[in-house]
Amino acid sequence: MTTEVTGVTVEELATLMKQAAGVTVDPRELERRADTPFSEFGLDSLGLLGIVGELENRNGRALPTDAERCTCPRAFLALVNGSLTTGA
Amino acid sequence: MSGRRARRTAVTGMGVVAPNGLTAETYWKNVKEGVSVLDRITREGCEHLPLRVAGEVRGFDASALIEETFLVQTDKFTHFALAAADAALQDAGLSSAAWTDEPYSVGVVTAAGSGGGEFGQRELQKLWGKGSRFVGPYQSIAWFYAASTGQISIRKGFKGPCGVVASDEAGALDAVAHAGRAVRRGTDVVVVGAAEAPLAPYSGVCQLGYPELSTVEDPARAYRPFTSAACGFVPAEGGAVLIVEDLERARRREADVRATVAGHAATFTGASRWDRSREGLAQAVRGALDEAGCAPEEIDVVFADALGVPEADRAEALALADALGAHGGRVPVTAPKTGIGRSYCGAPLLDVVAAVRAMEDGLVPPTPGVFDVSHDIDLVTGTARPAELRTALVLSRGLMGSNAALVLRAGTGSAL
Repeated sequence: MTTEVTGVTVEELATLMKQAAGVTVDPRELERRADTPFSEFGLDSLGLLGIVGELENRNGRALPTDAERCTCPRAFLALVNGSLTTGA
Repeated sequence: MSGRRARRTAVTGMGVVAPNGLTAETYWKNVKEGVSVLDRITREGCEHLPLRVAGEVRGFDASALIEETFLVQTDKFTHFALAAADAALQDAGLSSAAWTDEPYSVGVVTAAGSGGGEFGQRELQKLWGKGSRFVGPYQSIAWFYAASTGQISIRKGFKGPCGVVASDEAGALDAVAHAGRAVRRGTDVVVVGAAEAPLAPYSGVCQLGYPELSTVEDPARAYRPFTSAACGFVPAEGGAVLIVEDLERARRREADVRATVAGHAATFTGASRWDRSREGLAQAVRGALDEAGCAPEEIDVVFADALGVPEADRAEALALADALGAHGGRVPVTAPKTGIGRSYCGAPLLDVVAAVRAMEDGLVPPTPGVFDVSHDIDLVTGTARPAELRTALVLSRGLMGSNAALVLRAGTGSAL
């Protein structure tokens, strides 16, 4: 399967957090506090796992197993975008 | 047991989500007036099932009561429990200020009979329709019997002893007793309750195998225990949550002591062995009376299990005679659940709320829809009966064979 893959933006992450875990967060806030633990935004580990699953289904490929262990938005976006754009 | 201090368990708050009321007061108003809300099932996907009549909770707006982060990861049975827990805490006059500094002083116990069926169905449909990768992670916790206990404690920040009783419908009375033991062991406050949401397609189908289920189409005839027309029970959703706490602590903070939990016992006599439930129920009543230090004659009202299966009804009537002697034929018996159906573990908790309110108002509520009693019990029918009520006995049986009895004392006067 060849899928056109683009990186995940902060806006998309905010949308996914709402969708998968019911967490409402302003994308600008998410960007400004990119090193703040997900838990402080109200996102638990199962919520992050749901986001990982959604991205995997959307892109038709697996993310690194560490993806759901990322503790903050910056680390998560860096790992996911690194993986998606290098096609790892 | 040496060193057992006389810590006693007071009921200081009650919250209800029931087919006949979304608050404890609306529930009680309709119970005491004998209003029946049994109706044809309207739930989507249930229309074709041979189960026709149920007690649906209608007009419950979960999104107005519960944060979205909790809604997305919980089933409706937990939504009911979270809402009822909020109401019970408020009723008890407890706000977060009461436990923020002492999170270990508050525990949670719930009972559940089936867990999150609707949530589970949705995720299983994704599994078989789209594949395993489309099943959401919250399925791992939302369907689970323990979900409501966990979510109540997480949402409120309680860190005291938590527990879940999965012991059939009667397990809800066991949960109240368990909460009482936690209080006696030193936990100040226990949030204890049960709520169920079994009215969804998958859950509905699961119940069709119960020979005790009523499939009668007429809501007025579908659930008539203790009559010659008894044809099984009507299922319902909803439940109740109580706040129980150490009696002395409740008095110190000048809380309104609504009742005290005086005694409990449980027995097991096998699934659908209703003939044997006579002995099991009688033994549970004896055990509860014994723990309460209560003579049979002190029981002023009985909230019956009232399954609506002839053999089970007979067993219950005989159990009352066995355990209470001649008093068993004289004491007022009632079964308000004929007006709302049986919400499995939620049902006996709703009966506990009705028992507490009955003692407060001096009023035995009637048994809606039941008129021609065919057993030797004094079943209160038609309208509520005024009576001085100091001690109430609540009975429950589960389809899988559990029997339980709970003795409650009125909050003022003789109990104290």
